[in-house]
Amino acid sequence: MLKEVNSTEFKELADKGLVLADFFSTTCGPCKMLGFVLKDVEKEFGDDLTILKVDFDQNKELTAEYGVAGYPTLILLKDGTEVKRLQGLQQKPVIVKMVKENI
Amino acid sequence: MSVKYIYEKHLIDRQAEAEEAMLKEFEAGNYTIQNPLVKYNLYEVSPLSAVICFETKTETPVTVTVLGKTKEANIGHTFPKAKKHVLPVVGLYSNYANKVEIRAYRGESNVITIDVPDVYNGENPIYHMHTTPEYLQDNVIMVSPAGLQLSSAFDYAGDARWHMNVACVFDIKRLKNGNLIMGTHRLLKMPYYMSGLYEISPCGKIYKEFRLPGGYHHDEFEMEDGNLLVLTDDLESETVEDMCVLIDRNTGEILKTWDYKKFLNPETVSHSGSWSEEDWFHNNAVWYDKHTNSLTFSGRHIDSMVNIDFDSGELNWIIGDPAGWPQDMVDKYFFKPIGSNFGWQYEQHANVITPNGDVMCFDNHHYGCKQVDRETKNLAAKDNYSRGVRYRINTEDMTIEQVWEYGKDRGAEFFSPYICNVEYYNEGHYMVHSGGIAYDKDGNPSEALGAFVKDVGGTCRSITVEVCDGKVMLDLEVPGNYYRAEKLKLYSDGINLELGKGQVLGKMGHTKEFDTEIPMENSGEMLPDSCNARIEEEIDRFTFFSRFEKGQMVMMLLEQGDEVHRYYISTTAVSYLAMCCGTFLDSDERNTRTSVNKAGLKGVYDVRVIVDDKKYETGIKITCE
Repeated sequence: MLKEVNSTEFKELADKGLVLADFFSTTCGPCKMLGFVLKDVEKEFGDDLTILKVDFDQNKELTAEYGVAGYPTLILLKDGTEVKRLQGLQQKPVIVKMVKENI
Repeated sequence: MSVKYIYEKHLIDRQAEAEEAMLKEFEAGNYTIQNPLVKYNLYEVSPLSAVICFETKTETPVTVTVLGKTKEANIGHTFPKAKKHVLPVVGLYSNYANKVEIRAYRGESNVITIDVPDVYNGENPIYHMHTTPEYLQDNVIMVSPAGLQLSSAFDYAGDARWHMNVACVFDIKRLKNGNLIMGTHRLLKMPYYMSGLYEISPCGKIYKEFRLPGGYHHDEFEMEDGNLLVLTDDLESETVEDMCVLIDRNTGEILKTWDYKKFLNPETVSHSGSWSEEDWFHNNAVWYDKHTNSLTFSGRHIDSMVNIDFDSGELNWIIGDPAGWPQDMVDKYFFKPIGSNFGWQYEQHANVITPNGDVMCFDNHHYGCKQVDRETKNLAAKDNYSRGVRYRINTEDMTIEQVWEYGKDRGAEFFSPYICNVEYYNEGHYMVHSGGIAYDKDGNPSEALGAFVKDVGGTCRSITVEVCDGKVMLDLEVPGNYYRAEKLKLYSDGINLELGKGQVLGKMGHTKEFDTEIPMENSGEMLPDSCNARIEEEIDRFTFFSRFEKGQMVMMLLEQGDEVHRYYISTTAVSYLAMCCGTFLDSDERNTRTSVNKAGLKGVYDVRVIVDDKKYETGIKITCE
């Protein structure tokens, strides 16, 4: 599953299973590119991975809570606990490897 | 306005054509010592040089001397006997009617005039040179670029006597055969990964380009057999500046590769203050020690000099502050300081092994501590120092002693947070080059890297010192930052000019592609004029220059039927913690340059560009053979 969420929805969905949070900005070129990459990643993992897109500028408190300093930032959560973080645009193989190591 | 297109012939090809034309003109004319053929800057890139051609009636050696502004500033050389003479003239002055004497051995002579324009375009390339002609003689101090100022060399009087007008960056060394070795001016990938190395004469003639699949950065070293150690990258890897190769001097073939991830674990190294996951080692120097058959690498971002066995690649020892390293590594590989007045180096550059096995480096001393200690021990630029330092190591009892330093007492005025080098000439005789000095707009010492200082109204400078038995014998200060300094003579006892076309050796690598497709139909529209786009094609690659707005999503495509190759172009400003050569940075952050090697491509490709939600034409086709 891949969806854009606000802070409330994020908290409801992020504490169970494997979740990949994408903190992005609509003003950011790499973030837009990462959007296409994550669509491919979603096809790879189906229901095994929940991808939640969080608008950095619209969700400042959540961003601060997770210590996100820039965008794009990807945070992999397992049952609500952060296991890995990547900053900047990533290609699909890097993201897939990170997720597979934590499935 | 369509996308501009330029095909640039390889410099080696252009030089060969110029040389051939000169030789034809020489053959067709009647040129003598009294009336030589003079070709100013024949090879395009060395504007304080020329080539002269003439015949003598008999075979005779000839001495060519660029007459200095004082007698002590003469630069000359006696060439072997010949009847047909094609001789390089190096050491000309900028913005000057140079007098050059041509004298046959015990025979006739003539003084010609070679006019040279102002190659510095009104800028003064030097603040001062304090030395004597007795000390420097006909050597020059050659400095290589870290910023906008290109390579130059200065004589004892502080006059520029050599200059390059193309950005050949990083290290310059003299090879055993008399030629110079330096980075090419062909940028492969930002910020400073070059296509490889040039073996080149001071008069600008390129004998060889050694191309490398991973490009070249920072340093190279000539082995006794003439083969070259070169610092390179795996451009498909997620990390950079953690690889060295040995290349064949005759063919450019890679003979051996060292991947530093094999002897160090990037996840357990102790970080310097500038560390990043991608640039975890930041290798800026390599030295081969024949006595121990080992390689020593300088890793700025681990504050360490690392020694490995040449053959096996096994780690031997590490010189550096052990704070933050795993204890088992500290116990096995690190040295215990002994003696008085000891200090570790931080973010060092340019390690050198002396004949007796001591280890020297330029200790930038950036931050003054490891990243783990920065909360309590961090040194700001104004409180910091940089120095040349010499350590004596004992690999039997794993102790280390500091036996010499220069620069600490000068404090912040000699502080460089990046680049720089030391040279060993003899016992007690050294060069210490602090090439990365910067001041903010208020004149305070700054730890901003040179390329970024100007952006905030600051200034940069470079100080090169030669010390002999504790006495400063030479002090050169120039505006701008310079990567390294080297002392040498412009003429050598080896090759000064050999005729014939240069060679392009080695291979380019396959440019990393972006493997995610952006589904989009061609709009049929041309890339907008606002992008100010152009493509410069060369025999083995092409570069796409264009301007985009921050926040745009951009991808360049090479399309040939169903075959598509994708190259993502970032429109985000990058904050660099390391910028050892800012020569290629654009003052307008919107400007991008994307270089694609033709290696791995075959056929004729249309170049198209996606910008956000539209796919544009460029009208350009690239042919790859």
